[in-house]
This record gives sequence, structure tokens and C-alpha cells, in this order.
Amino acid sequence: MRKIKLKDLLSSRSSARVLLAPMLVAGVLVQSAFAADVRIGTEGAYPPWNFVDDSGKLAGFEIDLGNAMCEKAGISCEFVQNEWDSIIPNLLAGNYDIIMAGMSITEERMQTIDFSSDYFPPDPSRYAAAADSDFDFGNLKGVKIGAQGATIQADYLEANFKDGNTLLTYETPDQSVADLMAGNIDILLADGEFLNPVVEGSAGKLALVGPGVEIGGGVGIGMRKDDKELQEKLSAALAALKADGTVDKLIKASFDKETNYANQ
Amino acid sequence: MEGLITSLSELTGTNLSYLFNGKHLAWYASVRFTILAAFFGAVLALLFGMLGASAKRSSFAPFRWFGSGYITMVRGVPDVLFFLFFPLAFEQFVEYLFSLNACTVAERASGKWPPCNAAQWYLSTSEYFVMACVSLGLVYGAFAANVIHGAMRAVPESQLEAARAYGFTKRQVYWHFQVRQMWIYALPGLSNVWMLLLKATALLSLLQIADIVQWAGKLGAANYFPAAGLVHGDWRWRYYIVLFLFYILLTFLSELFFRKLQKRASRGMALDQ
Repeated sequence: MRKIKLKDLLSSRSSARVLLAPMLVAGVLVQSAFAADVRIGTEGAYPPWNFVDDSGKLAGFEIDLGNAMCEKAGISCEFVQNEWDSIIPNLLAGNYDIIMAGMSITEERMQTIDFSSDYFPPDPSRYAAAADSDFDFGNLKGVKIGAQGATIQADYLEANFKDGNTLLTYETPDQSVADLMAGNIDILLADGEFLNPVVEGSAGKLALVGPGVEIGGGVGIGMRKDDKELQEKLSAALAALKADGTVDKLIKASFDKETNYANQ
Repeated sequence: MEGLITSLSELTGTNLSYLFNGKHLAWYASVRFTILAAFFGAVLALLFGMLGASAKRSSFAPFRWFGSGYITMVRGVPDVLFFLFFPLAFEQFVEYLFSLNACTVAERASGKWPPCNAAQWYLSTSEYFVMACVSLGLVYGAFAANVIHGAMRAVPESQLEAARAYGFTKRQVYWHFQVRQMWIYALPGLSNVWMLLLKATALLSLLQIADIVQWAGKLGAANYFPAAGLVHGDWRWRYYIVLFLFYILLTFLSELFFRKLQKRASRGMALDQ
């Protein structure tokens, strides 16, 4: 009997090459590679920051800002979609070079990655619940509260409402909203600017309840600590876009919110 | 009545354009991942199956151990686990090989992974896709090996003896009598393995491949932001029903195909099948 081992299968003499070649071709066909200078990781499921629009392409405030920033810096950029919970590990692993995904600047995250200056001001987190509900936020007990996992909101819930309540975290923002709509949780804590359109679009079923909570800093670009050259380049481009009013204009377009980065 | 018709056509009008927007077209196009992965996975599974079965029947003991080990171990590991394990392990193995040349000794001793940026192997969809096919081939090859091994033994020994008595060489007996007749016994089992493999293509999304399952989840997710498309609640169940129907259709077509194949393999055979 002929001796065949896995090693032979991979060697060029083997007939397996006949099989592997079309597979590689098929692999290339399913997605042609495009090499950009900088790859930007984003979640693509967090409107109005970043989302997939009707045409199937990434859109949103951060997509517009990222493209403007790369144009300013004179580099070619490409957005890559990545799940939220692995977005920092995959930045460190080099799957992309920077993160623009509505990520708040926090002390905890700054231990592993660096942030640019913020391109969106600190945004109070809000609670959303069924429109007819009423909660005493000073003394919350026996309630199911949800947030997206690995977020500042999830940490806040863990620190403040752990005793006597049930905490749930979700992989994606839309799952958390779906569970709130389905009544599986009583309250959802999330960024105010994310919840506003959700509450508006819920046809009166949901309402913002309780106080706004100041948790994280503003939203900034997440970057690898050892990527100093890229950090400087992008920080300069971002500063230029702030000064010429582009950042304010883009925030106004996506959030209908007045900011004043131009005169900082 | 007229108002009903206009509102209905208006409704279907918007619905139709909704079903043909770029997001949905991308969903339909992502079927190619499922089809290609099933096809290449099956070809590899058959190859690994033949190799595994031959190894298990080999007269050379280490081959036999390798064959039995492969069949027993891979069959016992959940396919989801293997799907996650194999590409990651392979990626790290390749990065390790890279790092031997690309990184300095100090960098390799630093405990960072990968030790230096030059050893970084970036995996895009194409690489993940190839590795998904190999994973499918390895997992379902073990099942196919078991089926083929059993089928080889099911071929009546008297047939092979008769062939040898007529003076056919060892190789001829193997290919023209044992393997040729083996298919009849193997096909029902192999069609079963194919069905399992087809179902396992739904795991492609685990490797961040934007396949039909991932798109269905994304399209069905509730959307309250008008700029991101039609505002709707949680529609995932609607999209998952479409996936059900899609897989049932594939099952139906596969059954048709295997019935034809069985008929073809049985032609001219003395066996009553």
C-alpha cells in the first residue's frame, strides 16, 4: 500500500495540489484582497456612529469622519467590521490598525490601548424602559437590567446594581434592544445618543426613564501603544478637522447636536 | 376596495424594493460561501475518508494506529470545537514558524504573541474560508472513513477470492472489485455524512465569514434608525424561516442526487440492492 501522510498532501508533488489550487482560487474569488495603508476596525451595528446601510455598506458618523481624517492625512483607509467583544484583542493582534467604534475613553481601556483626543464629547448614558413603567433609581431592587457586554455601562451596572437585581449583558446593541422590547429585561442602560433614535422609532413603546448617568469620557480613536508614528499622523489630521469645523459639521449631520470643537 | 388595492400595491412595492436592496443582495450572494464550502468540504472529506479507511485497513501497524486514532478522535470532538480550534491552532503554528526567522531571540523570549510584527499572519475571509473547508473535510472525513471502512468489509470475501483465483493482481482486486462494489454499501452512509456536512456549513459565521446565517441575523435584527434602512422590530424569526426553507431545499436536492447515484453504482451488480 502506498504510504500517504498529511505531509505529502501539502507537498507540491502530491496530487492534492490539484485540489488545493482550485480551493485557493475559490478563496480569492469570494473576496479579493485590497491593501490599504490603514485598516479601521468598527462594529457596524451601532447607529448613528457606525452601521450597515441599505446598500450593504458601512455608513455613519465614524465612517464619514474616518474617511475625512485619512484624506487629510493623505493615507488610504479601509473599514473592517469586527464584533464588539473582540474589538480590542483584534486590534492588538493586528487585524486592523485603529478602532473607531463609538468607544469611550476610559482609564481601564487606556491600560491596554492608547486613545486620540475625543472626537465626540462625553455623552450621558440613559436608561430605557417600557413607556408605562416607573422605577425608583435611588433604591432599585428585583429588576432585570441589561447593557451591551464589555461596555462602560456594563461596568457601571456591575458596580452599582449588582445586589438584589439581575444583570444581563448582550453581544450586540440590537440584541439588547430586542430583549427590552420583548420584555425579557425591565431596563436597558446605553449611550444616550444610541437610545434616542431607538425610543423615537419604538412607536411609543419605550421611553427614557430615570437620570442621565455620566460614565466615560468622550469617544476617541483606539490605537496600539507601540504605533507612535501612526498616532501622531492621525492626531494631527484629527486636530486639523476639529479646527476647520468638519467634526462639528459631521456631528450635526449625524446626531443633530451642537458641539464646539472648532474653538477649543 | 380601490384604497385597499393601492395600499396593498404600495405595500408590496416597498416590500419588493426592500427585498432587493444592497443588504439583501449581499445576503443572497453570500450563498456562495455555503455552496462552495459544502462542495470543497465534501471533496476533502471523501479524500480524507479514503485515506483514513485505507490506513485503518493497512497491514503496517503504525498506519493502522494513525487511521483508528484519526477516526476515533475527530469523530468524538464536537464539530463546533474543531471548527474553532483548527484554524486558530493552524494560524498560531504558522506564526510560530514565521517567528523563527523573522523575530530576534529576545523578542521570542518576551512571551508576547506574536513575538514581533513581522511574524503576524493576517487572516482575511479567503484564508478563513480555505481553513473552514479543510476543517469540514477533516471532521467529516473521519465519519466518511468509518463508513468506507465498514463498506469495504461488507464486500463479500468470496468475490475477492474468486477475483484472485482468476489471476487478477492485488491492485486490480482492490480497485475493480473491492472499491468498485464498496460504493453500494457506502453510499447510504456517505449521503448521511453529506447531510451532516451541509448542516455544518451554518458554522461558517463562527470564523467571521459573512455567510447566510450571519446576514440573516443582521438583517433580522431590530432597527430603529431610519438612515440604516427600514425601521422594524425583531424580524430574526422571519429570516431564520428562510434559512430553514433553504436548507430543506438543499436536503431535497441532495436526496434526489444520491438516489440517482445509488442507481448508477448498482448497475450491473449481482447484489440485490
